[in-house]
Amino acid sequence: MSTIIQNISKPRAGESTWLWLIKILTGGLLVILLLVHLIVNHFVVEGGLMTYANVVAYFQNPWIVFMEICFLATVVSHSLIALRSILLDMNPAPNVLNIINWVLGVVGVGAVVYGVWLALTIASK
Amino acid sequence: MSKTKWNIILRVSRQKDGEQPHFDEFNLEVDPDEYVLDAVERVWAFMDRTVCFRHACHHSTCGACGMLVNGVEKLTCITYIRDVTQNGAKLTVQPLRNFPVISDLAVDMGSLYSRLEIVGARSVLPVPEAEVEKPASSWPKEDQQYIRLADCIECGLCISACPSAATSGEYLGPAVLAGLQANALKYKSLPFNLADSQDGVWRCHSAFECTEVCPSFVDPARRIMNLRSQIIRERLSGLFRKA
Amino acid sequence: MESQHNQPSPGKFWNWFNPVGRKTGGWAFILNRITALGLTFYLFLHLIVLGQLAKGPEGYDSFIALMKNPIAVFGELLVVAAGIIHGLNGIRIALTTFGVSISTQKQLFYALMAIALIAILFFGIRMFTA
Repeated sequence: MSTIIQNISKPRAGESTWLWLIKILTGGLLVILLLVHLIVNHFVVEGGLMTYANVVAYFQNPWIVFMEICFLATVVSHSLIALRSILLDMNPAPNVLNIINWVLGVVGVGAVVYGVWLALTIASK
Repeated sequence: MSKTKWNIILRVSRQKDGEQPHFDEFNLEVDPDEYVLDAVERVWAFMDRTVCFRHACHHSTCGACGMLVNGVEKLTCITYIRDVTQNGAKLTVQPLRNFPVISDLAVDMGSLYSRLEIVGARSVLPVPEAEVEKPASSWPKEDQQYIRLADCIECGLCISACPSAATSGEYLGPAVLAGLQANALKYKSLPFNLADSQDGVWRCHSAFECTEVCPSFVDPARRIMNLRSQIIRERLSGLFRKA
Repeated sequence: MESQHNQPSPGKFWNWFNPVGRKTGGWAFILNRITALGLTFYLFLHLIVLGQLAKGPEGYDSFIALMKNPIAVFGELLVVAAGIIHGLNGIRIALTTFGVSISTQKQLFYALMAIALIAILFFGIRMFTA
């Protein structure tokens, strides 16, 4: 009966430390940013952003635009890095992992660019 | 040992070469103060000599008898029958998860042993490095000269319980990472790189199931967290080191 | 020939969500993963829906009218619940990674989920009576 000595996967040192750190730091930031986003959007603003006019007025404030863009970048980073962790748990082959990395990168950048465009569009109305 | 006798049904997972796993049921008369391992052994001795299982010391030192008892990882030599079933009820034993089954209840632990060797897990530690519950610094000075067997008995229960190990055979696993942690990253190259990779500490998702099932106070979850802190410190200070 | 049964495999990813035999920490892991997936789905849905804003008042205001439907409000409550649970559990994970409260991680989880329950009830009542 042969014993299976499983191959120790070629160690890719340090690859995940930084990603994990970004995940945990964006996570921490999100606790604050989400609170700010929700409180400002629903409790502070007149009318609670329930009409188009409210939203446009709200976005005239550059600090709001800045806050929302920060929030977007943070939440997209956290979400996609974490999604990658979940996919990693399924032990993808190296070439599949490359595709996953690429797709997540594109989706992430795309989402942030789209959000920035949307914010600036509303702010300029 | 009490004089009470219980009648239980022992369901043993059976799987020989190339077969699909299935359960065989055995009606047994047992003393509830006996251990689950005793019940399995009695089945082997008197009912079915083809039942295959591992056992050695029968006192939680060798780590051979780990099994799934009613779906939970246990060392069967120290698990009382009265704690896991009742008179007239069933008792299910299955092999540990996340290891290939050799036969019935015996699994191939080769990957665990070879990895422990690769990361340089030590089986004997000087007391000051052993991280026992009562910190070594509080021991009387004359006791600190001693060496002590490492807590880990290499039973594999933690790997069986770990949700990350369930989908990935590449993940080093709690036992290996815990063994690595006691070296405190002294050996800078291979073990550090193994720990600091996506199949190392960063695969852990803080489920703490490993610590939950460990029969030997290793507390692998705490060691993995400690290893993470060590690695982060190393990486951050590495940013400031001169080239 | 070695048996392939019982070995780790990607196909076993449903085991992540299997609560059998799990203890507190395992429950936390399952909850965290489910809320993570739910929140990610909501995030991208939210971003797409906000594109309605660019279409002008009709697009946005009609969508808001749609969201007053009680089923929609309940869906939103689920998102709020997921966010609170995931955030608090995330704090627990960050704490334990840096060595804080490892020996009391179970109690910490219970305490945080108690806070989460109160917060969810508070927001739920607010959302349905507003």
